Amino acid sequence: MRTNNLILQFTSKFVFFIIFFFAVHIFFAGHYTPGGGFVGGLLMSSALVLLVIAYDLKTVQMILPVNYMYMTAIGLILALGTAAFPMFVGKPFFTHFYDYFHLPLIGKTSLHTAALFDLGVFLVVVGVTMTIIQTIGEDE
Amino acid sequence: MAFQILLNFSLAFLWMFLSANYSANGFLIGFILGAIALVIMRRFFKSRLYIGRVWAIIALTFLFLKELILANIAVLKVVLKPKLDMQPAFFKYETALTEEWELTLLSSLITLTPGTVVVHISDDNKYLYVHAIDAADIDETIASIRDSFEKAILEVSRT
Repeated sequence: MRTNNLILQFTSKFVFFIIFFFAVHIFFAGHYTPGGGFVGGLLMSSALVLLVIAYDLKTVQMILPVNYMYMTAIGLILALGTAAFPMFVGKPFFTHFYDYFHLPLIGKTSLHTAALFDLGVFLVVVGVTMTIIQTIGEDE
Repeated sequence: MAFQILLNFSLAFLWMFLSANYSANGFLIGFILGAIALVIMRRFFKSRLYIGRVWAIIALTFLFLKELILANIAVLKVVLKPKLDMQPAFFKYETALTEEWELTLLSSLITLTPGTVVVHISDDNKYLYVHAIDAADIDETIASIRDSFEKAILEVSRT
């Protein structure tokens, strides 16, 4: 006999979008303003945890069939690859490259390889957090 | 509703392409012209115009602000009374709303106006269980909710 969680479920569906957008914004804001991969990853996983609280683990796993262990591994490979790439072109380990590009719609932007490293951090944080939540939550 | 908003956006883009004015300004002009065109063609849509719904949402917002101020004053009176003669009570409120978002909105509005808190929704989504801080006259409280919030929400959602 489950209680009727209508208000919680509807509100979390609605709020998920807001947290998701805020997480992406914080992730991209990390270069010049506070934010970055770690905080963005935590926000992203908090959005997912909100769904887990409102529904249950099985439902969320069915909606998003992501293996979070693989996500952690991909994040680590991405971070390590970004850090190791300069060694192949004769620069020291962890040298970052950046340049200015003219992108459609956005205009002149500076693209920096630190963003790729941050994306790796982001994926690792989301993967680790969700793995912890799931393994604790599935314990019967 | 969704179709009308989409049509209005498409008309705004059409105006931008026609006038070769690809700015926010051009979009706004096109959007207003599209709204006028929708009003002219209102008889051909199956549901009512979305502009009326937007107006109903604005009216609901102002109604909420009014109720918030009035209810806060009422609770202030209850709190500052030297004699504690308030009558807390739970009551069952039968709602005519069916959609999830309507029920959530109604519950939030009831909870945000001081003096009443929604504590539970029945499993068939027909009844709200409300706690009132001073419900000397429960029927009056129910009637006031029904006439203000529920009517305004139904005004937003009717087709």
